[in-house]
Amino acid sequence: MGKPTGFLEHERQSIPDRSPLERIKDWKEIHEPFNEDKVRQQGSRCMDCGTPYCHTGMTLANMASGCPINNLIPEWNDLVYQGKWRDALDRLHKTNNFPEFTGRVCPAPCEGSCVLGVIEPPVTIKSIECSIIDKGFAEGWVTPQPPASRSGKKVAVVGSGPAGMAAADQLNKAGHSVTVYERADRIGGLLLYGIPNMKLEKEIVQRRVDLMAAEGIKFIVSTEIGKDLPTKSLLEDFDSVVLCCGATKPRDLPIEGRDLKGVHYAMEFLTINTQGLLELKDVSAFETAAKSKDVVVIGGGDTGTDCVGTSVRHGCKSITQLEIMPRPPEERADDNPWPEWPKVYKMDYGQEEAKEVFGEDPRNYLTMTKKFLGDDRGNLKGVTICDIEWKMEDGRYSPVEVQGSEREIPAQAAFLAMGFLGPEDTIAEELGLERDSRSNVQAEYGRFSTNIEGVFAAGDMRRGQSLVVWAINEGRAAARECDRYLMGETSLP
Amino acid sequence: MAELIHDLKNSNHHARINVKLVSEVGVGTVAAGVAKAKADVILVSGYDGGTGASPRSSIQHAGAPWELGLAETNQTLLLNDLRSRVILETDGQLKTGRDVVIACLLGAEEFGFATAPLITLGCLMMRVCHKNTCPVGIATQDPRLREKFAGGADAVVNFMNFVAEEIRETMAKLGFRTINEMVGRVDKLELRKAINHWKAKGLDYSGILYRPDVDPEVGTYCQMKQDHLLDRSLDNREILKQALPAIESGIPVSIDLQVINTDRVVGTMTGAEISRKHGPDGLPEDTVRINLAGSAGQSLGAFCPQGMTFTVTGDTNDYLGKGLSGGKIIVRPPEDSPFVAHENIIAGNVCFYGATAGQAFVSGVVGERFCVRNSGVHAVVEGLGDHGCEYMTGGLVLCLGKTGRNFGAGMSGGVAYIYDEAGDFVSTKLNTEMVKTYPLVECDDKEIDEVKSLISRHVEYTHSPRGTELLNDWRLAAEKFVKIMPEDYERVLFALKKAEDRGLEGDAAIQAAFEENVAAGH
Repeated sequence: MGKPTGFLEHERQSIPDRSPLERIKDWKEIHEPFNEDKVRQQGSRCMDCGTPYCHTGMTLANMASGCPINNLIPEWNDLVYQGKWRDALDRLHKTNNFPEFTGRVCPAPCEGSCVLGVIEPPVTIKSIECSIIDKGFAEGWVTPQPPASRSGKKVAVVGSGPAGMAAADQLNKAGHSVTVYERADRIGGLLLYGIPNMKLEKEIVQRRVDLMAAEGIKFIVSTEIGKDLPTKSLLEDFDSVVLCCGATKPRDLPIEGRDLKGVHYAMEFLTINTQGLLELKDVSAFETAAKSKDVVVIGGGDTGTDCVGTSVRHGCKSITQLEIMPRPPEERADDNPWPEWPKVYKMDYGQEEAKEVFGEDPRNYLTMTKKFLGDDRGNLKGVTICDIEWKMEDGRYSPVEVQGSEREIPAQAAFLAMGFLGPEDTIAEELGLERDSRSNVQAEYGRFSTNIEGVFAAGDMRRGQSLVVWAINEGRAAARECDRYLMGETSLP
Repeated sequence: MAELIHDLKNSNHHARINVKLVSEVGVGTVAAGVAKAKADVILVSGYDGGTGASPRSSIQHAGAPWELGLAETNQTLLLNDLRSRVILETDGQLKTGRDVVIACLLGAEEFGFATAPLITLGCLMMRVCHKNTCPVGIATQDPRLREKFAGGADAVVNFMNFVAEEIRETMAKLGFRTINEMVGRVDKLELRKAINHWKAKGLDYSGILYRPDVDPEVGTYCQMKQDHLLDRSLDNREILKQALPAIESGIPVSIDLQVINTDRVVGTMTGAEISRKHGPDGLPEDTVRINLAGSAGQSLGAFCPQGMTFTVTGDTNDYLGKGLSGGKIIVRPPEDSPFVAHENIIAGNVCFYGATAGQAFVSGVVGERFCVRNSGVHAVVEGLGDHGCEYMTGGLVLCLGKTGRNFGAGMSGGVAYIYDEAGDFVSTKLNTEMVKTYPLVECDDKEIDEVKSLISRHVEYTHSPRGTELLNDWRLAAEKFVKIMPEDYERVLFALKKAEDRGLEGDAAIQAAFEENVAAGH
């Protein structure tokens, strides 16, 4: 299979990005179109390993290694190399309901575990995945495939993030009549309001939603289960319920000045921003918290990056990102060998843009926020920060302030992007769902059944905050178990 | 098998001859035969291993677990009192000290490791060992990839130390001081009771854990060396003595001896001494002349290097010039022989099998499988049997008479010229799968002259009436020669010539020709 010498002949090349200064002028996707021949060339770099890791989806050192949904990566790499795009698309859809999402937003643990990565930059798997599905849509190959017959069973899916959508898609394929409930005004969950438009254009989410609606899935928006509609009514009206409500409780920073105007959760900021974009389609019309301000983003993860990219697009005066962890090394550390997820320094799109505009990487490592400072009208005017060191105390590392490092930085806006604590309590309390020690809904991985008969839980709600691709994995698997519950047997993967 | 072991032992009496057997039912009987054929080591190989180049079906479905074959082999050798004269080795995914101890208790005293040490060197089990694309630079000669090799011998040493340490610990628990004490002590193995799987029901291990009841004087591990009877060989009796000046200081010698067919592997030990002393290039041509009269036994001149010339007046047996590595062999009938040379057999089957270099002039017909796997010898004969030049990869064969059928099957290199008197060679004798044919007269003059001069040398060495006759009317004779050329080989030679015309030399030219072929999709 494949071209044995491809990796010797071609260097890695991913889908190119538009230049930072150009792309911050709009909210369109940061990527440029990718030449088809280039993609085929990149496909030839796949070595068709005797022992591939890219599709394993193992958990090593608490991180995903290889694709959590076991995408048949070596197979479609080769099909792309051969120019068999249609076959590649079919192989891709076998394991992945939404390659157009993962091809854009997945951190690609497949590439971290790619065997080629041992000696060279790995195969650009994510770009190939994205190219396959984009070509599929462009060629009109992706069409509604409603099930041939209906089982007569009704399933409610609560939450329309990637887990809920994957569960709904699979259950519908099995012939059940699926209704998806979403409390926001549009379908998509974090795909819609969590991830900004430049990373995942909202038309792309809507395109998939339309496709699923055409296949017979009913979407009900602006209806919060547990508030607008009692959860128990779902148990009466449906044969089964799959809960995919996410882990939406943000981690707070309870320090002095937290209540000042200008201090927001990142998700509030990003949601309002995307809502504005969808409603008005005009950037200037929704000037928000960031314009002409000194912005501080607290947290160095993907959400933090999204806040940076969004703030830069709003024309912030300055941007500072605070990260409590040390700067990762340029190359894998000795205790982080392949095929573990590579914990290495990376310049993501937001930081790249900030660097172009302001001249430097906005990230400050080993930095802790001590208090928010306000003016006499209760507006944020600055943040007191300090440097820290990680010291071993009582068997665990804790941050310890470096004496004399305390300082103030100006800030009129601060966004908290420090992760999520777990699911909200409404539904769990109403139904009396058992929770685990981290407050996630208790449901064994692989079975997904909760302590209430006929009620399944999947995605972040069950496992805690995680990747889109894990959500798809859980949504698919929960659908399988739900199907088994309804029919006594299942043919879903 | 006995013949092969004897030949190899002659070619290097310092080496142990190790015969590898696949673990399977009945391997014990085979091993008993191999022990009688005087192998120094018998390796019982389990079904779990295999290189990355082997097809998946072979990796997973060839043979049986080493435990089964090893137990059977050890028991059979003990029962026949053969165990004490051979070393028993086993391999096939041995990875831990525990594996080694179990192998020892089942009867092995040597143990082969391959996969595990390779992994410690950085092998990623890509299964592309045969493609020259090993990404970690282990199974490749490509300098770009070898650069990527990040392993080191220390890792293997470290791994083997761990294995040894575990063996030592287990031996201490069992109360053994040496490996030899432990060999075959199946009484120290017991079935793990805790495994209660339904598939384990009905399994009977008593055959594996059986210890034959043999007399106390029967050795249970290797205690003596095989007697290969090398002292009875013609080399040890005569040739080595007389060839000493040549071996020691390169002074030409000429040795005249009678030979009979119990003199096997004549000259090979002398050749080995020359190689040991003078390296792979041997000595100048004809430094050691060995003139034999009579009927030589099998494997005359096997593996002999440059500088040795055998002239046999009489006939020779099978395996003449097996693995010839530069020597020269001349075989001719006695002057007063009443036979027509080119109609009568003068040498046996499988002559020049696997030969790599040298020259041969045989005035008479040779048997089947002539020059199979030859990669460099230039040989002239006056007729040959079936399957001539099978799997030949290099060298030259010139046949002045009839051939048998299936000539040139799988021939991927080298060239052959056949005197096709009857004109039916191509249509009835040749296997055309991989070769093309040309009338010699259509080749360039240089090539025609080379064939002619080779016949002249044949006549000079053997006084061949056939050769003389062809030379006397060369114009007419040349018309009847057919040239046999492997297609792929021809293409590579052409690419090589092009590279040389561009000014490239040696390995660089070969590399260029190789790359041209790869680029063309071959």
